[in-house]
Amino acid sequence: MNKPKLIISSAYAASVSIAFAVIITIWAEFFAPLKGWLAAFSGHHWVSKSIFAMLVYVVVGVVFYIFPQKNSDTGLNRGLGVLFTFGILGTVALALFFTGHHFHVF
Amino acid sequence: MGIIEIIQSKPVLIGLHLGFAVVGIDVFLTLAGKFKDSTGTKKGRIISAAVGVAALIASWIAGGYYYVVHYGTLVKPVIKAGVAPWVHNIIMETKEHIFLFVIPLSLTVLFISLLEKEELDRLGIRRLATWLSWMIAALGLLIGLMGFMISAAARWGAVK
Repeated sequence: MNKPKLIISSAYAASVSIAFAVIITIWAEFFAPLKGWLAAFSGHHWVSKSIFAMLVYVVVGVVFYIFPQKNSDTGLNRGLGVLFTFGILGTVALALFFTGHHFHVF
Repeated sequence: MGIIEIIQSKPVLIGLHLGFAVVGIDVFLTLAGKFKDSTGTKKGRIISAAVGVAALIASWIAGGYYYVVHYGTLVKPVIKAGVAPWVHNIIMETKEHIFLFVIPLSLTVLFISLLEKEELDRLGIRRLATWLSWMIAALGLLIGLMGFMISAAARWGAVK
């Protein structure tokens, strides 16, 4: 097992999963049919988002791990830095979105 | 009342959600210290990270079950009809969605814990491993704080 490659694959997959969770959450608030479809898929929109967010993480992680990467050692810092940044930005984005949504800013 | 019914009851689900989260937070704080100070063994770091991931998954399942089965029908209407409906609209909505970040983040830290100390230094990722572990603990604490506000809003929501 190539541990650096596993870590960098997981880091990028987690970043994509976070971005996916933020985008689908905001999109579903503005587009009722999407929220309805998410609710119908599993019985609850949040359960569907949980399932899809984990699926995105696993699929993107496997794809990253299977495909060859140049210098996976040196790319580790960048991948983990991207994940750290996405974690902060995702949290702030959701907090600001729901605050703005409550006060009818958008 | 059977054991399954007891586990599925509201107070137990909340207790499991909070209790497992506390374990996860503590473990990732400890792990952050190990990464930062270069202490502990590889085996110890792997066990810590694995326990942390398992605890956060258990917290996610218990909290998710409570949220899906009980919150929407019993708690949300009380908060929405009370003096602080913003607690649902802002706090609960943010809480339920940032929880989705925690498992992929913690699995990535688990994979980092598979490295030897020398590899952590050679690859230059000790600092980011520490920061990511702190981030998981911080998100856990933030989610806990939000949960406290939601419970308080449901308990005191009708009192001005």
